Amino acid sequence: MNLRFHWMLPKGGEVSLNGPQTPREASHYRLASTREGSPAPVPDIPGWTHFGKQAEEAGIESLLVSFSKYEPDPILVSAALGQTTTKLKFIAAYRSGLMKPTTFVQQINTVSAFMPGRLALNIVAGSSTAEQKGYGDYLAHDERYARAEEFLEVCHSFWRDADDVNFDGKYYRVDRGKLHTPLFADERRTPEIYISGHSAQAEQLAVTKGTCLLRVADTVETLKPAIARVRERGIEVCLRMCVICRSTRSEAIAAAESLLPRDDMGQYERSVAVKNDSQMYREASEVGDNWLSPLLWKGFVRYYGPVWTTLVGSFDDVAGALLEYKQIGVTQFIMSGWPELDEVKLFGSEVVPRVRRTEARV
Amino acid sequence: MSLRFHWMLPKGGEVSMKTAQETSRVLTTKSTSKASLPDMDGWVKFSRCAEEAGIESVLMSFSRYEPDTLVIAAALGQATKKLKFIVAYRTGFMQPATFVQQVNTLSGLIDGRVALNIVAGSSAAEQRGYGDFLDHDERYARADEFLEICHAFWQRNGEVVFKGDYFQVESGQISTPFTAPDRNLPEIYVSGHSAQAERLAQRQGSAWLRLIDTPENLAALVERNREHGIEMCLRLCVICRPTREEALEAARALLPDDDTEKQERRILNSSESQTLKQALAKADEVGWMNENLWAGLVPFYGSSAITLVGTPQELADAFLAYKSIGISQFIISGWPKLEEMVIFGREVIPLVREAEREVSVVLGHSRCDE
Repeated sequence: MNLRFHWMLPKGGEVSLNGPQTPREASHYRLASTREGSPAPVPDIPGWTHFGKQAEEAGIESLLVSFSKYEPDPILVSAALGQTTTKLKFIAAYRSGLMKPTTFVQQINTVSAFMPGRLALNIVAGSSTAEQKGYGDYLAHDERYARAEEFLEVCHSFWRDADDVNFDGKYYRVDRGKLHTPLFADERRTPEIYISGHSAQAEQLAVTKGTCLLRVADTVETLKPAIARVRERGIEVCLRMCVICRSTRSEAIAAAESLLPRDDMGQYERSVAVKNDSQMYREASEVGDNWLSPLLWKGFVRYYGPVWTTLVGSFDDVAGALLEYKQIGVTQFIMSGWPELDEVKLFGSEVVPRVRRTEARV
Repeated sequence: MSLRFHWMLPKGGEVSMKTAQETSRVLTTKSTSKASLPDMDGWVKFSRCAEEAGIESVLMSFSRYEPDTLVIAAALGQATKKLKFIVAYRTGFMQPATFVQQVNTLSGLIDGRVALNIVAGSSAAEQRGYGDFLDHDERYARADEFLEICHAFWQRNGEVVFKGDYFQVESGQISTPFTAPDRNLPEIYVSGHSAQAERLAQRQGSAWLRLIDTPENLAALVERNREHGIEMCLRLCVICRPTREEALEAARALLPDDDTEKQERRILNSSESQTLKQALAKADEVGWMNENLWAGLVPFYGSSAITLVGTPQELADAFLAYKSIGISQFIISGWPKLEEMVIFGREVIPLVREAEREVSVVLGHSRCDE
């Protein structure tokens, strides 16, 4: 099977419709998205639609629409963008525990009816304790996973069973649940479900209730055992990473270095403090050598956070690295870059064809 | 102020149905009903006709038999320009912060053309299917807390803190604002006939939405609610024909067969809703509530089927009579779903507007004369 490439939906206001941006200007939108005055909270249908069409042309399969208190609701954003694009799929991120599973299924099924087969889910058990409390959720990390397990159990039951849904758990109870609007998912009966997180609970949840484990990229050697373990249990693995690809490796490195902070140290320390119970953030804050491998760079991570782990190199370098991940069982990637629009075009015109040529030979 | 006319969005498939009988509850609650599917072609056609007819908003009903209202409004809002959407939602199915995030997102997607119809709950059986096991009165107490928190988010006056019996929020913040040309929170229609519904409307809503009744029966409670500073909106159906005989004939043609009647009654009797019980009693005990207001369709098409029947002039006069006692808004439907709205927009609204202009001219003169 060919590798599947997805991309992050840019933040609101990030896609420039009037002229080019430098990578540094573009990166500002993501970095400042949680600050007062950022355009990120406002839906940006013109910018997103423009990006979506470019992504479709670049051979990108889906866009991941992220969830946080700083951004518009991903389910409704997906519904709207599904109308302004034709092929592109949307992976809507959602935190279990913020609505009843019956309601969630009703919303997801309704969105799918407007864009059959084009909606997937990225289920997140929670975020920082502080952000969760702002949503009225007071459970601790481990309990959030137990609840997510029940949540997805109920959802699956609505998707799979023709009969009324009955469930009596610790967190949810449903008595003769029934929804008439079905899921529209082409040949699938349930949507693809990406479970993200680095903890053992996340992996367990992905294996029992998901179709794919989503995690931040690391070196091939580091990831190999975990990926083999997860693949054996029948689900896919998707890596989240940033990419900076240029004609030559030195151009790519120069672009990467232009993104390093100049006067805003401390940004990342703040975000670590906030997300204190996330395993992924704890791992990322262990500072070591910036080059995890000849191409995988974590120079941004201590400033901007773990999802900024970046593949940096020439078109051939990057294509080769992706194929190495394929060899150990990774099947999907969710990328971002700066500016998102330029990077997705470069990636689509230079890297994807190189990967496909090799895949065709093999 | 001019009367505001809204219309019910037909259920999936209904726009192209020709007979009212096809839209009976017995049929739309079957799992094979098209009511379960979004009907973009039908809805876009209907919405454009509504805009042309002078209808301000369409109300989207919420039930387990239909697609999700927030999502439909997001999609349909992309295909319309002026029409507003009154999205029905039941409190208790999601955290208030999540609800505000969705409603605010929707406002940003469709230029603020969104209002809410907040419903505390439905039948106990349907609520349990959503994981809600509270009884009628507790559902209202929860709805009050729910809207209290929503308002706190809409005020955008710092982080939201709330500690109640049903919800708790600490340092709540939703960055996406509610955006509309002239408002920073949605209009909130609270529906229901119980005392709790009325109190909820007064405390947390901008309008109380209830079934139509005769002006005499409504006058006192309209006054009471206007004093609390909220508007009154009536839900009704209309049958408008050139002559009274034709209107009555059209009304009679809507009655279903005996078998459907039995099934409808079974559905209606299972509900705990005060609204339904009162409407059904009206139908059985009274039938014609006055010369133009008929409850005869309630047993077959549900509590909202109390119908104004008559000529364009009779209907216009009836609406103006409601206006004179302080009612400002109406949510209407009719059969066939599309055609009746077109007739209403063409025949009744102009008569109402003309009379409203005359009144304002008269008032203007009297001020000048003083």
